[in-house]
Amino acid sequence: MPKTLKDVLAEAGTPMDFESGGHSPKEMVDREVKREPHPRVAKLKEIFMDTLSSANNEFPYWYTREYALHDTEIPVVRRAMSLKSAFAHSTPVIYPGELLVTHKAAFFRGSFPMPWLSEGYYMAKEDELYLEALKHGSASADEHSKFGQGGGNVTKSFGKVISIAGKFGMRQEEIPALLRLAKAWVGKSVDDLGHKYEQMVPGYEVKEALMRNLICMFDSGYTLPQGREVINYYYPLEYGIDGLLDMAKELKSKVAGRADGDGIKGTNRLFNYEAIILSLEGLKTWFENYAKEARRLEAMEKEVIQKEEYAQTAARLEWLSHGKPRTFREAFQMILTVHLAVLNEDAISGMSPGRIAQVLHPYFEQDIANGTITEDEVMELLELYRLSISSIDCFASTGVVGGVLSGNTFNTVSIGGLNKSGGHAVNRLEYMLLEAGLNNPMPQPTLALLYDEKLPEDFLLLAMECIKTGVGYPAFMNGQNAMTFLMNQYGPEGMTSEEARAWAIGGCLETSPCCWKPLHLNGKEYFIPGGAGQPTSVGVHFLAMPKILETVLWNGVDQRTGEQVFAPHNRSLSTYDELFDQFKLYWQETVHVLALTNNVQHDIWRKNNMAVITSMLKPDCLDKGHLIDEKGYRYNATFNIETAGTITCVNSLAAIKQLVYEDRTVSLDELKTAVKDNFGFKTAKEVDSFSLSDQQQREDGTGKWDKLHFMCLQAPKYGNDDSFADEILLDWENFLCPDSKNYESLYAHPMYPCQISVSTHGAMGSATIASGDGRLAGTTYADASLSAFPGTDRNGVYALLNSATVWDHTQSQNSQLNIKIHPSAIQGPSGSRKLLDLIQAYMRKGGFHIQFNVVDTKVLKDAQANPQNYRDLMVRVAGFTQYWVEIGKPVQDELIARTEYEGI
Amino acid sequence: MTTKLSCRDCHNFAPIDVVKGMCHVTKTILLGDAEQCSDFDLMPKCKHCTQFKADTKTVEMGICQASTMEPKFFAFPDMVSVTCESYQQN
Repeated sequence: MPKTLKDVLAEAGTPMDFESGGHSPKEMVDREVKREPHPRVAKLKEIFMDTLSSANNEFPYWYTREYALHDTEIPVVRRAMSLKSAFAHSTPVIYPGELLVTHKAAFFRGSFPMPWLSEGYYMAKEDELYLEALKHGSASADEHSKFGQGGGNVTKSFGKVISIAGKFGMRQEEIPALLRLAKAWVGKSVDDLGHKYEQMVPGYEVKEALMRNLICMFDSGYTLPQGREVINYYYPLEYGIDGLLDMAKELKSKVAGRADGDGIKGTNRLFNYEAIILSLEGLKTWFENYAKEARRLEAMEKEVIQKEEYAQTAARLEWLSHGKPRTFREAFQMILTVHLAVLNEDAISGMSPGRIAQVLHPYFEQDIANGTITEDEVMELLELYRLSISSIDCFASTGVVGGVLSGNTFNTVSIGGLNKSGGHAVNRLEYMLLEAGLNNPMPQPTLALLYDEKLPEDFLLLAMECIKTGVGYPAFMNGQNAMTFLMNQYGPEGMTSEEARAWAIGGCLETSPCCWKPLHLNGKEYFIPGGAGQPTSVGVHFLAMPKILETVLWNGVDQRTGEQVFAPHNRSLSTYDELFDQFKLYWQETVHVLALTNNVQHDIWRKNNMAVITSMLKPDCLDKGHLIDEKGYRYNATFNIETAGTITCVNSLAAIKQLVYEDRTVSLDELKTAVKDNFGFKTAKEVDSFSLSDQQQREDGTGKWDKLHFMCLQAPKYGNDDSFADEILLDWENFLCPDSKNYESLYAHPMYPCQISVSTHGAMGSATIASGDGRLAGTTYADASLSAFPGTDRNGVYALLNSATVWDHTQSQNSQLNIKIHPSAIQGPSGSRKLLDLIQAYMRKGGFHIQFNVVDTKVLKDAQANPQNYRDLMVRVAGFTQYWVEIGKPVQDELIARTEYEGI
Repeated sequence: MTTKLSCRDCHNFAPIDVVKGMCHVTKTILLGDAEQCSDFDLMPKCKHCTQFKADTKTVEMGICQASTMEPKFFAFPDMVSVTCESYQQN
């Protein structure tokens, strides 16, 4: 029997199942806190748990049909006409028991393709278009992304259901229509047009090589052109649809034919307002169609209570199709429907609702005071909301949805933070939102707690209770850090410290610029927060740092494919400084070419596929008459550069620095040979698994690399408060953060770093050979940007916190640290207190984000072996919560292998 | 066009996913392919519409004669037409 990596690590004194601070009990320990939602919610949740991700062609059909009619129209108007038709023709579907209605498509968990963004991946393999798509770099991402083989994912075709992109099921009878629609967009989609023009960027061949070799994970221009931002519900809440229509019509007449000092885009305002009007008309009809469906169901319903609920739903929707919300129920329905409308406008991941408990609090406060709703009824709605948001799917390719997103769509809700005048913003509804997360644990909305020292103690302790359920939320985000970052990045666009306080998390943990707007309700004025910035899902996304290091070591050649990615540097790499210098040079070349090609893609998007509905919602588009493409948003400096594999790269550099350059116990060439030979292990492909635990030594191996592999594994590692490794992290951050400002987005603003991995550490790890830290070929990188590599943080949790905070986190949009804790380590009130102390220590040290998997590793192992028994098990991955059965095995393996803290 | 009708063709059927749905009459979850019952209420779909003209050469495809463009825009038989202003039942 060949030795496994697990055996080797155990022999090296770094066992994979490392327990820090004690030992867990032998028996499996469940999480301490468990609650149940309202019966109505439980019933609907039962349906959700057995629901497949499903897609149909209704929305793209009507969009494409309308688009084809208007080929001479102004692009923004043509797009709005298409959106209007698609919304107006979307079939409403309401399920018994629902109190919050509307769905993305006519399924419980429905979505649909958007071939106007990218059409290639819808094609069957034999289709000529798919073969064409294979020639593009993005096909590599698909090949290296594996979905969790369970839950609601349709990973394989069965019966009359065709699996698309390894995730979505579509009825076989709809496939011809899918192909017909896709073909209608060939040469016209953002993907195709972007590809045509990005080839004109000097160095384009490097970009293609970067994509083919998975040094970059995806193009944001046509995959997820919007998202990782905070929506703004203010305008529909304050004015209602008719009010907005009136406003847009009035403004349209005021600007028609007028340049008003702007000779380039001043007159565009006429067309923009026309587009807004058309989109609002589509939304109005969408509301009306849902209202008609509720009336139809009311008419046929025989059960008295259900009949009355349909009647109330119909009345609510009828009102909202024109009027502004008057009650908590109406406001909640409005923000949900508007949210789904935005998600239907574009392929979007991470359109976060923001601080909804602060947005809805005026309605809550007044309705509770006048007795029109009870707290129990509000709680039921909050629990139902979790069901609605968890049902949101984003239709994209396997590489994006599986490899990057793990099926999550990051509709994060933020809680806490500060109010406009600088006091804490926590209100009664925020406590209830946390309680709803306890009662109805579901992946979405993930909760982000905007930490400030001013937040009430009992609120923070309630958050500890929530974390102890093991749901992976709320994540703690450092508010002071965020506001410093925002002022630096958006100060040039006019952000004030008062406005910085309105911030919230967009996506999983992207610090996003927001603003305050005055909401009026029954004679009272409330300032509510909402998004005011462009997407941050855009820019140069997911650069595999360990792979760039690999190309440095091999003179620009990717060792998995043998392809010359970068021009040879021909440097001797005789010193560590020379090695690190070359790493930075290849990094800069990577970012440079990807920034340019992404700018081209996004330019195509903004010219032909601009956001109309999201723009209408975001200040100050309605006021200015300019949409996102014309910088109508208040904050536009949102494009960023996303890293992956930071800690794996840092650990590799640390090992090389010590073994090759300082101790000189091995030559660089010898280390490279060992790395290339995978330290005598079989390749992940040979083992047929990218899992850490499955890696095996070659049976015919001579064992010649055992000693060197042992030294690599024993070399200094990040996460131990060891300055040798931590200073490499510091050097990297001190380069990365200022260097990011050297790249300009198409909106002419400097970029900044975004340091999250989402799920790319699994997919990109699978395409990376072994590394100097002793990691084996094809296995996952360390999670997130500051999580330790599994089993390597051995000096206690506070040492890990010290390592993570050697650099200034306010220079970056975020950073990300996840820790696994055994439930017994934080039991009872004293356990909650210890956990809060730990979090506060990290925040005070200047850490940005911290979150926990409170779970017994034995449970995870059992769940991997018996997934059928764990449909509802949730875990925290990078910056989000997901069902265990819906994440890929490499990421599952990393979670299992991660150090388990038995005491803190 | 002769088509065997199932729950999926019934207006009382709220599709949950590509396999199953909820019957509004019985409040039970049914397979979409289940045979129609006595409460069957025809769901408007292109295949039941006078405007739909099947393409005899291509399975699951046809044209919508109500389309105002030339050539007429395509249509497919199983598309739900609840919201279509041109729908006229056969």
